[in-house]
Amino acid sequence: MAKTRKLALMALFVAIALTIFMIESQLPPIAPIPGVKLGLANVVTLTAMLILGRKEAGAILAVRILMGAVFAGSPASLLYSAAGGFLAYLVMCLTVKHFQENQLWIVSALAGVAHNAGQLLACVLIVQTPGVFAYAPILAASGVITGCFTGFAAMYLTRALRKSGAS
Amino acid sequence: MDKKTKIWIAVLLSVVLLGLLGFFALSHLGGGTIAVITVDGQEYQRIDLSRVTESYDIEIDTKYGYNTVHVEPGRISVTEADCPDGICVAQGAIDRGGVPIICMPHRLVVKIEGSGIDG
Repeated sequence: MAKTRKLALMALFVAIALTIFMIESQLPPIAPIPGVKLGLANVVTLTAMLILGRKEAGAILAVRILMGAVFAGSPASLLYSAAGGFLAYLVMCLTVKHFQENQLWIVSALAGVAHNAGQLLACVLIVQTPGVFAYAPILAASGVITGCFTGFAAMYLTRALRKSGAS
Repeated sequence: MDKKTKIWIAVLLSVVLLGLLGFFALSHLGGGTIAVITVDGQEYQRIDLSRVTESYDIEIDTKYGYNTVHVEPGRISVTEADCPDGICVAQGAIDRGGVPIICMPHRLVVKIEGSGIDG
């Protein structure tokens, strides 16, 4: 892929991810449990990883998290999403090569659990209350469910993009 | 479907089931009557819920944001918050120690501890 084309695609992915992130942050929470959310912007990170590569996906994720905190969050929410995003990205990088593309939902489920683990750790560090770990079981469960969902979404998006010849 | 996929389905499904079960168990277990409100890791107020006879509100206004904590006989809840998601309000009241109420953006935790006087 030509350098300019890649740069343009990456910028496009950041814009889409940021838009999804902003819209999701305006929606009412799906459950009255802190940390439980769909994480739809993760669809973009996963798709970018398959189409552009791991490094590019990491860059897109980092820019999205930073800009997301500027537009929709606070310094505290930056810490939460950075901790979650970094761990999820690490898990994705380590596992993505071991699964086929139609098993992307497994990679995404593991990344979802990692994301919630990172966020919970950041939260415990910030509020300095170990009792917050009581949320670990439900956050693990929610990470798997939302991860599967975003994984399937990313798989179909990648297929459609390849078919259309856009990548 | 190959064997690897089946194993992963089993693993992930058990994480979901155990997680849900664990959370359900935690939120129905745990005793205690001492409610402890902390902001940014610092204790803000400590209330013995077993001695509360009339409901009242505590207004918590810190540099992180604003919350109203509603104290009732035997239970405690967050009833107002100016955070964007309002999850702490949606969590409702707690009357036992298992799962604390958290307002992540305001670094606020409301938990219930054992009934000992020393806390």
